[in-house]
Amino acid sequence: MEKRLRQWGIAFSFVLPAVAIMAVFIVYPAVKTLLQSFYDGEGNWVGLRNFITVLSHYDTIDLSRFPSKGPPWGSLVNNTIWILIHLPVTVLLGIIFAVMLNNIKGGSFIKGVIFLGMVIPMIIGGVIIRFIFDENSGIVPLLMRTLGIEGLDHTWTAYPKTALISLILGSILLWTGFSLTMHAAGLSTIPKTIYEAADIDGAGHLRKFFYITIPMLKPVTSVVIAMTLLYEIKIFDIVYAATLGGPGGSSMVLSLQMYFYAFRKLDFNTASAVATILTIFTLFVSIWLVRNTLKGEER
Amino acid sequence: MKKTLILILCLLVVPWCLFAGGKAVEKATLTVIGPWAGPEMEQFMPVLNAFEEKENVTVKYRIYRAEDLSSVLPAQFEASQSPGDVIAMWYWWVMENHGHAVDLSDIWEPEKDAFTAPQKEAGGKTVMVPFVMVVKPGFWYRQSFFDKHGLKAPNTWDEFTDLLRKIGDIDGIKAPIATGNGVGWPISDITEHFLIAIGGPELHKNLVSKSIRWTDPEVRQIFENNIVPLLSAGAFSDPIEWTQAVELWWGGEYGIYFMGNWITGMVKDPNDLGVFSLPGAKAVVGGADYFFIPKYSENVDLAKKLLAFMISKEGLSIRAEQGGKLVVRNDVSASRYPEADRNLAEVVSKMEETTIPDMDDTIGGDWQRLFWDQLKLLWVEPDSLDDVLRKLQAGL
Repeated sequence: MEKRLRQWGIAFSFVLPAVAIMAVFIVYPAVKTLLQSFYDGEGNWVGLRNFITVLSHYDTIDLSRFPSKGPPWGSLVNNTIWILIHLPVTVLLGIIFAVMLNNIKGGSFIKGVIFLGMVIPMIIGGVIIRFIFDENSGIVPLLMRTLGIEGLDHTWTAYPKTALISLILGSILLWTGFSLTMHAAGLSTIPKTIYEAADIDGAGHLRKFFYITIPMLKPVTSVVIAMTLLYEIKIFDIVYAATLGGPGGSSMVLSLQMYFYAFRKLDFNTASAVATILTIFTLFVSIWLVRNTLKGEER
Repeated sequence: MKKTLILILCLLVVPWCLFAGGKAVEKATLTVIGPWAGPEMEQFMPVLNAFEEKENVTVKYRIYRAEDLSSVLPAQFEASQSPGDVIAMWYWWVMENHGHAVDLSDIWEPEKDAFTAPQKEAGGKTVMVPFVMVVKPGFWYRQSFFDKHGLKAPNTWDEFTDLLRKIGDIDGIKAPIATGNGVGWPISDITEHFLIAIGGPELHKNLVSKSIRWTDPEVRQIFENNIVPLLSAGAFSDPIEWTQAVELWWGGEYGIYFMGNWITGMVKDPNDLGVFSLPGAKAVVGGADYFFIPKYSENVDLAKKLLAFMISKEGLSIRAEQGGKLVVRNDVSASRYPEADRNLAEVVSKMEETTIPDMDDTIGGDWQRLFWDQLKLLWVEPDSLDDVLRKLQAGL
């Protein structure tokens, strides 16, 4: 019994520093934020009022303009659009590039170049996006001008119709490296014998891709989807650096809205409500990921 | 064991000796935080350098925009820390957070009559003192460009629109007016200038005091009759990052550029600069850059000494010589300024009511960001006028 207690004591002493740090820097602020979202600035209990304020404000959802009128449609709609475009494109591009660059000469170099987007701090990424889509110095408007596409040869981040899409495209450029690297690592774990057996059975490239590569990469793809979703839900730095959520709120996202409530309006309670909403969204993704991982381990 | 003890003693004693010895000769250090970088920083540094020489201290300068400070300072102050000893910041922000600021009455009161801008008071104390003045006098042009194309500064609204048409007809011109962009203040400066020139200073003041609505017909008409037609006609360029816009305008891609007086320190030849206000303008927007000392500064007394020097006749005379800003003391001779700034002082002095405070700085808070952001939208989608005005009113 004494020995067992001592073992527990030793184990506890190893875990204690990490638990203490997490309690102070993660658990306490999270609980405090959650509680704060149910109070007003004077410390009075207001129930769900802060949540209703956030969700009914045109900064969050402007359904009167959606979808017939152009943006701004609100941060929640923008986050959703971001996910709908960014998630499938980055995941698919990652798989396609990983397969195409697998075992070819110079493949590692190209993968390295694509991965550079991940190495760049996202705040710098935002500045780069601003310049890529700038009328005077950007490659995209120049390309559009060369192709004679009128209406897209201006500064994309300055127009409400193109601001959000320019951020999403820029973000694809920066984030695809993550999906590519993960899938490339996943590809290296698929036994060659499976492909050899498929060759003997006369399977073509497409059949091998859809019936071997994609299913075998599923665990990796799940992680990429979850991580990308989390990145998209809490996207902040790119938007902050490139457009500040504008023009007219057309590229506003939830986390930036939270920042403005907190540090411009100095309304920490409403900001906490946005933070709680964001946490709920990320919890869904995290629970899905954990359940998927556990299922995989059971198998 | 003995050897280990000696080793431990050495490890403890040697660094202590070094540290103690170093401390004896170490100069006191102050950190000043301001928003100025590049040429603006170069114009500011001589003031700090002069104090360093005078007091034999080290003054470090760190660049933080007010937007960034607004997210850094709350956490720092909560921990009773400060990233700097003397900090330039939005005055509305410091007034709302005055509990963290040192009372500056003792450096303000003795010389307050010499200042052309007021101090900022909150909680019964002086929390901020003015340093330099910025004015947004109107549209800047290159005299050589105007001479080459036979253009003249306008005296009436018709002459102004005629000037824009003539500039637009010049080969190589992308748009008559370059629109600066960034977080959004260049566009709000232009808008405020129109409001003052057409609606009068009273209208501007009423908007600041919220005694007139943004959706009021008087306000709406200025947008509808003056700003929106120019936007729709392409008189303004798309918003361009404002420092890049300086280069493009100076290079001849645009004819005129609305900017504050700091532009005199940003161009290759300030003597080639000319400036005109919109016809009818009886005042221009202007405001002072304010400094405060956080009470968490490790050396409040020395920080006060530095700030007192910065706003003294000596300190501001040094600043005036650098150009780019007007100083806030009336006992600094105009002859101290470079020529371009002297000309500007003349334009401003002709106004019936010289300067009125910047609207978005005065109202502050999240409305400032909203104002900038909504005007950015208006600039590229003039049809959204009613939506923009409605949101500006709702955001107050």
